[in-house]
Amino acid sequence: MSGVWAIALMAFTEAVRDRVLYSILFFALAMIGSSAVLTTLSVGGEGRIVKDLGLFCITLFGLFIAVFVGIRLLSREIERRTILLLLSRPVGRAALLVGKFVGILLTLTVNVAAMGLGLLCLARILEGAWAPRLLVAVGFSLLELSVLTAFAILFAVFSTPTLSAAFTVTIFVIGRLSRDLMAFASQFDSRSLQAAASAVYYLLPDLSRFTLGGLVANDLPLSGSALVLTAVYGTAYTAAVLLLAVAIFRQRDFQ
Amino acid sequence: MTSARRPSAGPAGESWRRFAPAGAAALALALAVLCGLRLDAAGRSGAAAAPILFPRVALLRPALLGFESLAADYWWLRTVQYFGDRMEREERFPQLYQLVDMTVSLDPHFLDAYRYGGLFLVIAKQFPQAIQIYTRGIARRPEDWQLPHDLGRLYFLELQDSAQALRWWTIADRLPGRPHYLPRFIARLTAETGALETALELWHEMAETSDNPWVRQNARREIARILDTLRRGARGGGLRR
Repeated sequence: MSGVWAIALMAFTEAVRDRVLYSILFFALAMIGSSAVLTTLSVGGEGRIVKDLGLFCITLFGLFIAVFVGIRLLSREIERRTILLLLSRPVGRAALLVGKFVGILLTLTVNVAAMGLGLLCLARILEGAWAPRLLVAVGFSLLELSVLTAFAILFAVFSTPTLSAAFTVTIFVIGRLSRDLMAFASQFDSRSLQAAASAVYYLLPDLSRFTLGGLVANDLPLSGSALVLTAVYGTAYTAAVLLLAVAIFRQRDFQ
Repeated sequence: MTSARRPSAGPAGESWRRFAPAGAAALALALAVLCGLRLDAAGRSGAAAAPILFPRVALLRPALLGFESLAADYWWLRTVQYFGDRMEREERFPQLYQLVDMTVSLDPHFLDAYRYGGLFLVIAKQFPQAIQIYTRGIARRPEDWQLPHDLGRLYFLELQDSAQALRWWTIADRLPGRPHYLPRFIARLTAETGALETALELWHEMAETSDNPWVRQNARREIARILDTLRRGARGGGLRR
């Protein structure tokens, strides 16, 4: 466990030294801030424009961090062969991979927290009241990013950085659209096709489950049990993808 | 034998080589900006603005990757700009309903789009469309008093249909957070008295409570209009709603 934590801290330190991270964070905060200017063009709905745009930025720039910073952290070790040095220490391959994941997640948490805090303050200034439900939406965006980070690690284990980035972005698109598969499934006449489409839907990540922006922006009630189930779903899916990555990583020969 | 090193060009040549690309880039950018300005000027002097093209929501939705709420914000901003622009130039609003419909189709829980969209349609004298937007909103957000309240106001102020106004205000009166004046309006309508006072009070409430300067300005204009009608009615010896 201490090995995992040591690698996580090392990965975190390495990530925060990366200039790409600061560029992404700067653009994200600039975009969230610029949404305040957009509200001056609106009649009504000013608060929700800031919230919607802010949550969009958090997801989009969080995805960039997961892809560009996350994949680089692992791929660099493999390309430069420094992974051999790490593996020569008394650290298991599983601990190494989980440590890297925790490090990237830590980096994402700090960045998402910074963006979320900026958004919360901006919404407070525009609406005149704190919107704590915004933090719930930000939390679930982080959960979505943790699923995507696990996929980024999975792809980085067996593929090149460019392909890993492309695959992770593809998973994001598929995950956001996977619910449509269920709609398509209902259109099929054949029972077996319906069952196959449903099976594919449940195997693929449904990232639309983590989007609470619409509910928060419209001040609609959030169901406590649905939130708990979504949190469990996200954690379980992340664990499953990470374990698959560990299984492939164990088989890989770095010589 | 050729040398791998470049021949020295002296200090003047060195600085020229260093700044020439940046200077050329600045010139090219200036040229692009100039062309853009000329093109825009030509576009403005041409015929009337092209009509807005609306994508089908069913086709648009998958491309939005779950960001429908943000897309609804975009269409709402277009609605406000369209309405404000045409209001300023005193033009008609042929695509106003489509814009509001697009917004609420993308996010069916967008309360302000129903409220202000309905109000814009009322100002544009598109009453059946306004009623449609309000009733769609009431179906989607049955717990919010604002929409039945606004629909009642439309029936009362614009269509002079007290029975329908009473129906919607009674619904709004049962919902949490409803304004303090609603029971008084309902009582007046039930007794069929004080129609002008009710209208004045409604506009006063809008002028005082709305957080939007444009809505407040519109309400003040309506107050002035009613007061003028009252004055003329008093001079003429009778009152007419």
